[in-house]
Amino acid sequence: MTSRLHRFLFATFTASALMQMPAWAQELTAGEVRDLHFGEALFHFYQNDYFTSLSRLLIAREAGRIIHHKDDAELLAGGLYLQFGMHDEAERAFRQLLDESSDPALHDRVWFQLGRAHYRQGKHEAALTALERVEGHLPAYAAAEMPLLQAQGNMALGRYAAAARLLEDWQGPADWLPYMRYNLGVALIRSGDDDRGIEQLEALGRQPARNDEDKALRDRANLALGYTWLQQSDPQRALEMLQRVRLEGASANRALLGVGWAKSALDDHAGALLPWRTLWARDRLDGAVQESLLAVPYALARLSADSEAVSAYQNALAAFDAEIRRLDAAMSAAEAGELVDALLVADDPERARWHWQLEELPLSSESRYLHALIARHGFQEGLGHYRDLLALGRHLDAWHERLETFGHLVEAQVLAAQQRAPVVDGRLAVIDAGALVARRDALAARLDAIAEGRDVVGLASDEELEFWKLLEELEAGPALAAAPEEARERHRLLKGHLLWQMDRDYGYRLWQQQRALAELDEQLAKVEPRLQRVLEIRADRPQELEALAERIDALSPRIDLLKDRVALARTEQAGQLHAMAMTWLKEQRQRLLAYQVQAHFALATLYDRAATAAPPSPVAEPGS
Amino acid sequence: MDMKRMRMAPLLIALLCISPIAAEQSLDTRIQDLRQEILHLNRELFMLEEDLLFPANTQVAVFLSMDVGEFFALDSVELKLNDRVVTRYLYTPREVDALLRGGVQQLYLGNLRSGSHELVAVFTGKGPHDRDYRRATSLNFEKGIGAQFVELKISDRVSRQQPEFLVREWD
Repeated sequence: MTSRLHRFLFATFTASALMQMPAWAQELTAGEVRDLHFGEALFHFYQNDYFTSLSRLLIAREAGRIIHHKDDAELLAGGLYLQFGMHDEAERAFRQLLDESSDPALHDRVWFQLGRAHYRQGKHEAALTALERVEGHLPAYAAAEMPLLQAQGNMALGRYAAAARLLEDWQGPADWLPYMRYNLGVALIRSGDDDRGIEQLEALGRQPARNDEDKALRDRANLALGYTWLQQSDPQRALEMLQRVRLEGASANRALLGVGWAKSALDDHAGALLPWRTLWARDRLDGAVQESLLAVPYALARLSADSEAVSAYQNALAAFDAEIRRLDAAMSAAEAGELVDALLVADDPERARWHWQLEELPLSSESRYLHALIARHGFQEGLGHYRDLLALGRHLDAWHERLETFGHLVEAQVLAAQQRAPVVDGRLAVIDAGALVARRDALAARLDAIAEGRDVVGLASDEELEFWKLLEELEAGPALAAAPEEARERHRLLKGHLLWQMDRDYGYRLWQQQRALAELDEQLAKVEPRLQRVLEIRADRPQELEALAERIDALSPRIDLLKDRVALARTEQAGQLHAMAMTWLKEQRQRLLAYQVQAHFALATLYDRAATAAPPSPVAEPGS
Repeated sequence: MDMKRMRMAPLLIALLCISPIAAEQSLDTRIQDLRQEILHLNRELFMLEEDLLFPANTQVAVFLSMDVGEFFALDSVELKLNDRVVTRYLYTPREVDALLRGGVQQLYLGNLRSGSHELVAVFTGKGPHDRDYRRATSLNFEKGIGAQFVELKISDRVSRQQPEFLVREWD
């Protein structure tokens, strides 16, 4: 089931791969990131975490932390809005860029993105108008993508000739060429230029494939060609094209069915049986397989193997009946159960929406029928919304819890601030900045006086000063005068030496003191503002905490309200998805009922033929 | 005749015409509005968180970026502030890829008082020739009154065929 679904999804993806390519993202990788916070938004973006990326970007922008990448940030924001399905916001961001910048290269990038945004919304006229504003300053990858986008827009509006002209002139990367060629072939055929269209598809159909995507595209080209030739009543050429399609792949079943019809058209009914019987063994949900259930008895009847044909029709009826019963059971299960939640059982909530497609289907009775529906853009889009709403709900739950914690934190801080206040006040009370300054001024004055009078003793060390005082005291007292000449001479020598020593060191000591004073000034200069800040914090903190508490109180009900709205939107989205699924299941059922009617009619014809034993009359083709 | 259904037109339509479903439009618009409001709310909540837990006057944020990465495959980073391990981060391949493409990771967000601080980052990974590689880089910085941002940058020094680990302060 998984691989089968994957094939289906793959078919859709390849067709729109070019449109989904995040060209604007590629451009953002070029060059050095010069704003850390812009780089941080990119870090989340490159991990496909678009919500965080956009949130970080908006915060950084508001906090003025994006200086060098303002335009890039706006472009990224626009692209993220787009990825997030916020088309209006994306357009607003892009238009703001257009208003604020006169850079022609930036204008081109913005018009290009606006064109892509409109295209994705299905506003094809608006998309083409925006793309027409591009003036030729796009980077190479975007310049290559633009004509493809314009061509797809034109095709969506039924302007196939215009699309073909754009594609014929296209130049771009070699690996995009198969898609371009396929679209060109389609555009040409739809514009009525069958010959050239077929030429393009044939070229693609013969082209060596480098990878699975190329092979799938080549199959599609051959399949389209095969049915084109069948439509133009050229079964031989149809056969040639259809037999090029691989036996396994998204196009295989329809190719096998077509091969059968081509052989049948060539009156090779026995040959038609082989591909059709091959289909019998395949998944009976597939339309081609279901049709083969009727095609086989049709071929048998054409071979006049009436009894085998009758048996095959009866088998087909039984198969349709069984399938209808399963569909009924699936519809009942879907009506009763949580269809959407069941679909998301295998979903990884961490994966971003951009690349997200439901690739793993749970094997429930209802989901078995939904693979084709899920492959459709509308259902995928709706399921994507549902998934986003789930994620947003979880996100709001997480914030709700954190906000409660913040509330407790603020309460604890208020309490702590109240308890600390007396201690802080006590400490502040003993700090007298003015006294400190006065002491510094006294020291500076003293140093000035010393310098002015070259007072070498003023800068003496404690030891020198003590010694100096002792010598001075001796000199002043009577004892020295009465002492012998030798003692007085020694005193004189000692004092002279000490004076010489202090004089020798004076210059250095003065410099040292002046430097210490400068350092002191530096420290003192910091004291005042620091003290001021402490006083401010002391005064402001209660109000700050109060303001934080108010913010928390204001945010809390908003979260609750949004949670309710998200839940409501999710329920509605689930309802829409469910309705789509039910419609699809009913369509499947209707088709099977129609096949049943055809089988009954063909059986009746065969019974009539047997009863009358008349010359064989043709059994109606299935679906006629 | 079912053959008609299998002809080219539906195939091409299925392939080329992708358009949103009209019935979803009003719900779609409402979901857009919801996303917008939640984004605004999210922004306010983040700012509240920052104001509460990491006020600007004490905030310090350490970022990590990579340039090229040819000579070094990052496994983990250990960050120390003033000799205390504040974070140890083990990288996933997706994160490394995001870094290599130009993303910048906010590795640490915390608080520091103003004054002198020392930051040491120890990078572990595979160096040239796929050898185990462990290298540290450090920065002494002065934390002022405003928020302090520091960037750790891993780049290739082609001339030496070695990785280079840089650290710098941002204004």
